[in-house]
Amino acid sequence: MTALSRPDPVLPELVIDDDDWFRLLSAPGPGHEEALRRLHQLLLRAARHQVTRMQARLGPVGSVRVDDIVHQAADEAMVSLLGKLSTFEGRSRFTTWAYKFGILQASVEVNRHLWRHRDVPLHELTEPSASDPTPEQVSEAAELSTAVRRAIAQALTPHQRTVAIALLVDEVPIDVLAERLGTTRNALYKTLHDARVRLRRELDLRGYDLPMPRREQDR
Amino acid sequence: MSAADRDLSPEAVQRLTLDAEPWLSCDDCFEKIDEYVEQLLGGSRTLIPAMRAHLRGCGACRDEAESLVLLVAVDRGVDPEPALRELRR
Repeated sequence: MTALSRPDPVLPELVIDDDDWFRLLSAPGPGHEEALRRLHQLLLRAARHQVTRMQARLGPVGSVRVDDIVHQAADEAMVSLLGKLSTFEGRSRFTTWAYKFGILQASVEVNRHLWRHRDVPLHELTEPSASDPTPEQVSEAAELSTAVRRAIAQALTPHQRTVAIALLVDEVPIDVLAERLGTTRNALYKTLHDARVRLRRELDLRGYDLPMPRREQDR
Repeated sequence: MSAADRDLSPEAVQRLTLDAEPWLSCDDCFEKIDEYVEQLLGGSRTLIPAMRAHLRGCGACRDEAESLVLLVAVDRGVDPEPALRELRR
């Protein structure tokens, strides 16, 4: 049996109410240590769940290494969650709130493991030459692809090009790219968002009718 | 053909040009994702537009949201598929 196929830790039957979670975890006292132990179980469950979902990407990894990843993620998530405990406002159940920390950290740990020996490609696309096929000679999809390459070359800053191509063409995980560039997921997504806005504006100016997402009022 | 000269796949073109407005940061998405997932699993029809846009534009946050949907659905004994379909819209 591999670590990935092991069942999740069984949670004790005693249920801790959301108000009690906050109270018990906030300060030392009766029930504090037990609440910490139960919280770690929740985070282990969430981390193993996410690692299992990413199993196909992990490939042949030994059960010991998988357990290391799960426990490392749960431990990191525990620190992160306890540091933000005061921000829990009860807008969801406490368990749902806690799970997200375990899932996020497990995702980061798996991607870090997958890319630990890989170079992150940081290159640009060349602008299509003037002798590229005319729109009449290529399909509509290929024409749009050429137009997007041209817009990337002409409308984006060098940093926006690097980030957009790494994330959306080479499909480098955003947390891996953030680590390599010494920045954050938040900052990279802002760069990506701004790049998309510029690309859409450039393509619109060139007469391309990009699909719009369905708005709330259309649903 | 060097890496820089290659054509963009239709999927890459779609990812590069999708509309992810209104703006929402990954940190703000993380802050709200537990509440949003519970709304999805509860069949809410009044979802936050900026969350929907962010999850459309950020593959990492969307993957983690799907994971949270699946985990919470198991706890509650509910079908996650309607919520997953809504996330992938």
